[in-house]
Parts: sequence; C-alpha cells; structure tokens
Amino acid sequence: MADSVAEIKKATKLYGFIGLTLFFFTILTVAVATVEALDFGVRGFDHIDAIIGLAIASIKASLVMLIFMHLNHEKKLVYFLFVMSIIAAIFLVWLTGWAFEDPITYGQGDHAGEKSGFYNPENPVEK
Amino acid sequence: MEIPFTVTARKDTGLYNSKVGIWLFLASEVMLFGGLFSGYVFLRVYADYPWPERVLPVVPGLINTFILIGSSVTVVFAWAALKLRKWNQFRIFMLITLTCAAVFMVLKGIEYKAKWGHQAVRMDDFVILEGHTHPAGIDADGNVFHVGGHASVEDHSDGPHYIAAKTDDAHGGDHHAEHGPAVKDFRTNVVVFDANELVINLETYHEGVIGGILEQSEKANSANWTLVQPYVGRETAREDEQIILSAGAKLSLENLAKAREVYLAAKANDSKVRTKQLSDAWAKVKDIPGNKERPNHELVQDENFKINEDFDQFLVSPTSTVTFQTDEPITFVLKPREVRESAESALLADGSSLNGQLNTEASAIEMAADAIDFTFVAQRAEEKGVDPLAAVEKTWIIQNNPQVAAIWKAHTEKIAKLEEELLEKYGTDKQGNPKRVPTEKERYRITWQELVNYGEGNEEKGVFSGFAGPDHTKDYAKHFPEVLVPREEVNLETKFTPRWNTYYAIYFLITGLHGLHVIGGAIVLGYFLFFGKKMYLNNPEHLANRVEVGGLFWHFVDLVWIFLFPVLYLM
Repeated sequence: MADSVAEIKKATKLYGFIGLTLFFFTILTVAVATVEALDFGVRGFDHIDAIIGLAIASIKASLVMLIFMHLNHEKKLVYFLFVMSIIAAIFLVWLTGWAFEDPITYGQGDHAGEKSGFYNPENPVEK
Repeated sequence: MEIPFTVTARKDTGLYNSKVGIWLFLASEVMLFGGLFSGYVFLRVYADYPWPERVLPVVPGLINTFILIGSSVTVVFAWAALKLRKWNQFRIFMLITLTCAAVFMVLKGIEYKAKWGHQAVRMDDFVILEGHTHPAGIDADGNVFHVGGHASVEDHSDGPHYIAAKTDDAHGGDHHAEHGPAVKDFRTNVVVFDANELVINLETYHEGVIGGILEQSEKANSANWTLVQPYVGRETAREDEQIILSAGAKLSLENLAKAREVYLAAKANDSKVRTKQLSDAWAKVKDIPGNKERPNHELVQDENFKINEDFDQFLVSPTSTVTFQTDEPITFVLKPREVRESAESALLADGSSLNGQLNTEASAIEMAADAIDFTFVAQRAEEKGVDPLAAVEKTWIIQNNPQVAAIWKAHTEKIAKLEEELLEKYGTDKQGNPKRVPTEKERYRITWQELVNYGEGNEEKGVFSGFAGPDHTKDYAKHFPEVLVPREEVNLETKFTPRWNTYYAIYFLITGLHGLHVIGGAIVLGYFLFFGKKMYLNNPEHLANRVEVGGLFWHFVDLVWIFLFPVLYLM
C-alpha cells in the first residue's frame, strides 16, 4: 500500500496513465467491432470477434483490478476472497448449464432429435 | 460502541475491517453478475430466433463507458487527495465522480425511453416490423379512421387499464375538425372486438378483468349481460341441487362470487372423494403380501391397483363455466397484451372469453416502419430447406405492400452489389468460395438508415442524427414506409421491453441491476462528500479508508460495465 506522500504522488500519475490506457482500449474495442479492416474472420460478428472483444475487456478489467483496486499489492486474505468468488462464479455457470440437461423442463424442439432448450409439449422427450 | 480496526490494520488479517467487509461483499457481487452473464450466454446459445446482434445504439454506450472509466479515475484521485490531506481537491474529484454517475443514469434513461416507446410486430410469417404506431379513432358514425402521417408519433401507452373509447381532445384538433366533435380516440394498436357472449371460468376469473368488461359495457350503454342457462349446483352429493343463479340473472361480481363459492365447495368435495378412492386403492394393493417392499411406480402398474368406482356417486362434478349474452353486440377496445384474439373469440387474461366478431379493420396496426427484418424468415426457411429469398418474396408484407416490395428490391440490388465489391476486394479461397460475404443481418434486415437511403435514392449517405435510434420527428422519417398490418397476420406485438425477446429480457435485467449499483454507489460516495468534513477534521485517515472502500465498490461497478459494453452493444 502506497502510504508515504511521495509514493502516493507517484501512484496518482500511474492512475492517470491507466485511465488513458483504458480509454484507448475502449476505442480499440469499438474499432475492431465496427471498422471493416480490423474485422478478422468472416464479415460481421463471429467467434473471433467475441474472443478479441472479451480479451480486450479482460485486459481492461485486469488493469482496473490491479491498479485502481490495488490488487497488485494486497494482503493474502483479499486474494483468497477474490479467487474463491471467481471459482464460485464458474460453478454457477456450470450450474446454469446443468439445468439444460433436465429432461422434464427442457425437451426437444420442433423437429425430431432437435434440442430447443425449451419444453415443447407437442414434441416431448422420448423415454 | 467503538468499532475496532477502522484506521489501523488487524494483526491477523493485515487489513482494516471495512476492507475485509467490502471484499466479502464484492465476492458476492462477482457471483451475482457471474450468474447473470452465464444466463446471457445460455440464452444466446440456445436462442431459437436470430439473436439481435449489434442492435443497440453504440454512441450512448460508448459515452457511458468513457464516463464510468473517467469516474473510476477521479474516485481514486479523490482517495489520493485525502491521503495527501487536500480536502478541497478531494471535494472536486468526488463531485466530478458524482456528476459522471448522474450523466451515466441520464444516458441510460434516454436509451430505455427509446426502447419503451418503440413498437415491434412479429407477423405469423416471422417478418418483424419495427416502428411507431399511429393514433386512430372511431368517428360519430362508428367508422374507424387512422390519423396516420408522421406528424403524430407521440406515445399513447399511458392509457387506462382498458382503453375505453374516449371523447377528449387527446391528439390535437386536426382530425376532430374533419370528423366532428364526437370522435372517440384510441391507439391503432388495440384489439377491437364486438362481443355478444361472455363465457366466464368460475375458478379462474379475476375481478379486475371482469370489472374492466363491466365498465366498458356500461359505457357502451347497450343491453346488459344476462345469464343464458341457470347455474344450478350443490356443495356435496348428499344435498339437493339448488338454483344458485337463475336464467336471466345480470352479470355482476356479487353473482359471480355466489356461483364461485358453490363451485369451489363442490370441487373440494370431489377432491376429497378422489383422494379417498386413491388411498383406498393404495391400502388394498399394499396389503397384498410382498407388495410393501416394491417401489410405488411398480405398484401403480399392478393389476390389483384398482380405483373403487362405487365412490363415484359421491362426486358432484360441478359446472365450471357460466355463459352470459347480450341482445346487441358490445364493442370492446382491449390492449393486445391482455387478450388472445381470433376471428370469433377473444380469450382474456383470466381464462374468460368474449365470443363474437373481431373488428379486423379497427384492430389493424398502422405503423411507420423504421426497420423491416426478414432474418427470422430466412432462418426458418433454411431450417426447412427452402430458399430464403423465395420465402421472403412469399411473405404477406411483400405480397401486399408495394412500397415495402420496392424497398426489398432496392435492398437485394444493394446486397448483390456489396457481394461483388467484397469478391473484388477479398477474392476467393482455395475452394473458390468468396472469402467474405454479406452477413445474414445485412442481407435480411433493412435498417432505418437504409430506409432513408432508399427513399432518397442515395445509397451511401453517411451518419444520421438519432442518438438512441431513429427519430420519427425528423424530416428523414418521411421515408419510413407506412404499413397497415391486419391483426390476424400478427403473431406478437409489443414495445421493446423484456416481453419482446430473451435478449431484451436479459439486457434490461443486467443493465437495470447495474444502474441500481451506480445509484447505490453514488449515494455512498455522495455521503462522504457532503457529510465527511467532520470525520476529516477528527480523523482524516478514517475517512480515507472509507473512501477507499467506497471506491473499491465503484471500481467494481466500472468493471461490470467494461464487460457489459462489448457483450451487449458490440457482439
């Protein structure tokens, strides 16, 4: 933790610089989504755009966490809480996905063999 | 009581207490938004309709991103100023932070308002029309007319529960002069139904719904609703049947309540009898040696599991509906979301139904379309192995609206040109397929900018004003085609609310929750700004720690938006 006057003054400069970096990455995010020359993969949105967009967002998020939220120099307990919350969030993603395996509420789609993700009384799941 | 470790760190954790507290809270927040993001992913992956990709106006979202990042910087500056014991500097940075929060919420409000005032119509053939509906009315002779034109685009969604025919001067005087003073106004986006029969489900009817029907019936001043068949009933099979409501009884909530009471008592009696029959059957089948150990699902299949039908004599089997009729049909004006209509009946939200005749002319939706979307048509056609372009040509709107047909023609020509340009620019791959082709959205969705371009005969006009979407009060709105859609061709119509599709449901859920976090954070930071002076003079380090903790929450709110912006606006 920056506590001396000199350290805080130094840190303030860093905060300003990080702010500008975040502005730059924001413009970059919009550019890769809208400028054709920066559109990788097929034209329009595809998985490559998703990966690039989320990668930039992750870089931005890391900067906010490391610098603004001081995670570059924190005590052990904070890291523990943070990591546990991430693990729990991943568990929640898995839990949501698991719901789609429920044959009672999530059956087949309009066509035979198709899984729509929504219960369709006209085409119930075969036992 | 003195709270310990607000300034100095605890030895075991190395942290002052409120920091542990805020990190515990942030951990719960990570899980909350993590769960919502995973909900978004699954909704998108399993969507059975073309996901609305990059449909939100990017500019407000982009400005909001800058605002939140900027406020994250100023909040950490404010904390640093406190650490350096510069009170005035702290106040300035905190004030900027709060201003950012306010601007963020105002922009969010503009964005939401544009959605809530924007009409979407999905037709039975999966064509989606977006735009604004026009007011219409019934003149003194009972004829329906539409106001039309782009002069009147105000939103009329704030009407009463049932939009009864009104006689006030709500839409300005123009059409009143033409049609005389006794004009009854309503929106075009209503279901007008002439009913002479009302079937009420005694178990599910809702007093609000029936009350609305009674209210409109009274206003119509026509003949009253009278019961067709007497309602006879008894509470148990031992009693004699009694006439609860005699034929010709008037429709009133009191009469319905009387009938409901007897019906529910009879139904409860029947439930008891059925339960007795079942428990009797279970007891008998379980008594057979060896059966106690067998699982229940096997016992149900057992030949000895028999319902004793002698008990049936104790069943009342009450009639669940009562039917009322009028001599003269009454015209009802209903909100589309409160009714499921067909040509001869209108099913109300509580399971009651009006029978009669749908007024197709008055129920038609007239709108100025600012987007025509065939992507759902194309998706359905491809699923069925039909040529998407042929499917689009066969849609009702292309067949019946020459203006839209002409726009579609201009659009297909533009796409053909774009295909050529892309082929020229990017060439073909090894298999000879073009490396880049127009997207599905480009092919099948005609945006409001394109509508203006086609209208002006200028294919490449640049950016238009319209901060949060198309603005129907602007001059360019004259190029939005007027479409009159018959009610029987409409599958679903709604404003751009969570009802429209799962995308808008999750959009409003996550951004709304995020907005609440912005407001909550601003309140806490505002408290430090306006009520922190005393603490600053007493113990500046204590206030600095509080601001750091409030700032941590603020950074988290920023963090969520950093992901929300690309996910909702750009993907």
